[in-house]
Amino acid sequence: MKILVGIDVQPIDEVEASIREFGARYSHRLFTDHELESCAKNPLTAACGLAARFAAKEAVLKILDTRETVPSWKTIEVRRTEGGRPEIVLCGEASELARRQGVEQMSLSLSHGGGIATAVVVAQVAERQIGTSR
Amino acid sequence: MSDVDEAIRQVLEEHGRLPVSVATLSDDDDLYESGLTSHASVNVMLALEDAFDIEFPDSLLRKSTFESIAAIRDALGSLGVVAAPN
Repeated sequence: MKILVGIDVQPIDEVEASIREFGARYSHRLFTDHELESCAKNPLTAACGLAARFAAKEAVLKILDTRETVPSWKTIEVRRTEGGRPEIVLCGEASELARRQGVEQMSLSLSHGGGIATAVVVAQVAERQIGTSR
Repeated sequence: MSDVDEAIRQVLEEHGRLPVSVATLSDDDDLYESGLTSHASVNVMLALEDAFDIEFPDSLLRKSTFESIAAIRDALGSLGVVAAPN
C-alpha cells in the first residue's frame, strides 16, 4: 500500500467573480446539485464552500494519472458525512480511473482563510498499481 | 490569423488571467504551463460560449480541451465553429 497526497488552493474572489459574471451557467458546470445545495445553506460563505470544493476536485486530479484521460469536474463530488466530515465521492470516468489505478480510499480536508480556499486529499493506493500513478 | 483565432485570443486575454500577453503565445503553446489555471479555463469556456453562441457539451468539459489555442480551435470546430473564408 502506498500513500499519495494531492493539494490545491483556490482564490475565493475568483469564484465570486465567476458567479457574478456567469451565474448558474458557471455553478452548474462545475458542481453537482448536492454541492450547490450544501453551499447555498449559508449565502455568506457560499463562495468559500464552492472554492474549497473546486480545490478538492483539483486535488483529486493531482492524485489520479490523467495523462490519457481527464475526468470532468462533476464526476468528483464533495459530500459531508453524517458526522460533518467532508468526503470524496467519485462517479463515472473519475471512478473508473481511480479503480484502474488502484485507489482504494481517499480522505479529504478543506479549509479557507485569507481569501484562499484549500483542499488536501490523501489516498491509499494498491502498491502494484503505483507505477501508473503520477 | 482567422477570425476564430482572434476571438479565442481575445477571450484568453480577458478571462484567462495569464501572467503573459496572449500575443506572445503560439497556437501550440501549453496554456497551463503558461499560467492558465483550471479555474480560469472554466471562465474561458463560458466566455467562448458567449462569443460564439454555443454550448460546450459535457464531453468537452475537461482541462485538455483548453490546453492550447489549437486545442480550443479544434474543440470549437467540433461544435461547428469554423473560420470565415478570406
